[in-house]
Amino acid sequence: MSTTSPTTDRDALPDVPDVENASTEDRLYADKYTDHEDSHLGVKVAGFCTDKCDTDDCVAVCPADVWRVEGDDEVPTIAYENCLECGSCRFACPHNNVAWEYPERGAGVSYKYG
Amino acid sequence: METPDYDNEFDAIVVGAGLAGSAAALAMANQDLDVLVLERGQSPGTKNVFGGVLYTPTVRELVDIDDAPLERYVAEKRYGVLTETDETAVTMRPGEWLEEPHNDSYTVLRGSFDEWFAEQAVDAGATLLTETTVTGLVREPGGGAAEGRVVGVETDRPDGTIRAPVVVVAEGANSLVSEGAGLRDHHDREDVAVAAKEVLKFDRETIEQRFRLNGDQGVAYNYFGEGAVGDAVGGGFIYTNKRTVSVGVAYSIEDAVASDQNPEETLNDFKQHPAVAPLVRGGRTVEYSAHAIPEGGIDAVPDLVSDGALLAGDAAGLVLNNGVHLEGTNMAVESGYQAGRAVAAAVDGDDGSVDDRALATYPEELADSFVVQNLQHYDFFQELAVEDREFLFSELPRALADAETEYFAVDRDPKEAHAEAAKDRLLDAAGGYVGAAKRAWKYRKLLS
Repeated sequence: MSTTSPTTDRDALPDVPDVENASTEDRLYADKYTDHEDSHLGVKVAGFCTDKCDTDDCVAVCPADVWRVEGDDEVPTIAYENCLECGSCRFACPHNNVAWEYPERGAGVSYKYG
Repeated sequence: METPDYDNEFDAIVVGAGLAGSAAALAMANQDLDVLVLERGQSPGTKNVFGGVLYTPTVRELVDIDDAPLERYVAEKRYGVLTETDETAVTMRPGEWLEEPHNDSYTVLRGSFDEWFAEQAVDAGATLLTETTVTGLVREPGGGAAEGRVVGVETDRPDGTIRAPVVVVAEGANSLVSEGAGLRDHHDREDVAVAAKEVLKFDRETIEQRFRLNGDQGVAYNYFGEGAVGDAVGGGFIYTNKRTVSVGVAYSIEDAVASDQNPEETLNDFKQHPAVAPLVRGGRTVEYSAHAIPEGGIDAVPDLVSDGALLAGDAAGLVLNNGVHLEGTNMAVESGYQAGRAVAAAVDGDDGSVDDRALATYPEELADSFVVQNLQHYDFFQELAVEDREFLFSELPRALADAETEYFAVDRDPKEAHAEAAKDRLLDAAGGYVGAAKRAWKYRKLLS
């Protein structure tokens, strides 16, 4: 009897069409966005990020590259104008340290399709 | 900006013109209540995201949907389990779904549907204010509540306080107002999923050929397993609209933070799956969106009425995900509808007094409805999915793929040997006959 030897490496499969994924930048560029000057996102207590956090869950969960920790950063930088307003960072932070407000007066992302 | 004074001018305020909010406003306006709907987006729907399929039984109870901006009706459902390289799927196309009302299942785009649905509430007499963000609730001492009774809302408009006898909070999953006002607790992250979605543009003919669709037919595909969202609890989806295809992933935030890739990368991987890529390739991204989904089940549903405020829709955690049924829009509309009816019965339009016993009928009615009944019936699933994740999302998809490859293997051996080996592979994954029987028992409620 022959036994099947399953292929587990996707890249090794022939005839799988390449899906050209837009970059994060191009994806966000497709969205309609109304600028607002003040960030609707922040950290409540910067010291919590410095002293209590070594997992950066806000960065890991964000679908839009809003939360960033680069180099020796101890407190994330926030590219709030990328924000898709899902709120996941607020739920993800185990220290409940994400300050989140709805952008005011219709500002922020405006979904056309949703 | 001109700001009419809305303070004390209305019988009730609804926070959010999504499906729950507009349903509540419709129910109240239909009973001749003066209702004010506050929406933070530039128009209703602009802040809203779902998969999605809209289930319309309660919508049809409230309005005529002949003119509604529906995309396609669901003519085909598919449930696929994916390994990295394999798909095993069940596809169904019952003839009955071709007939109206199409099992009350339609793909829609929230930008247009929510705007239309809110217009129906306005046509019924509700007042809609857009670009108005509710930033908190106003309480006043009294009413038997320790922290005082909710008597209105704070907004970001000039002179932003607007008072009314009752407030329905239908603000959505990222429930800042209800948490801030102490109407609900902060969600635990194991009770919330993160979803990332893309809307891809095609021409209509490409969609109809690719998915075998005629006229207004559409598909709803749900995918599970490690080929969909890695080792996370969750899944991927594809829904066809008229000229666009919605593709996305949704999975537990608890798993997302543990994963070495972010939701966008998970979406990219899902789209590149050998069984998915041919369906989504070539589309132009016209929108990228994300949303949180409350999936804590019945245990995470807060008190639906407290101190003169009512919670409905996602803000109340009313979402069902048992792996087979992925529902939220119908529960949002039903909860808004029931909340609106209770408010209409409770508020005296002449003197603004509120009958709290009438308000309390809202959770009672909802408890008797499919919304709470379904959440209770399938309450076991989320916990099981987490407990059995390795089996459900990894071992089972692999065993199925191995077994089917074996069973259908074409060579010069007798088929009996292949059939035997396929059976052994499945039994091995399930833990033998005893293990298989135990699992069948554990999951029996899924099909009942």
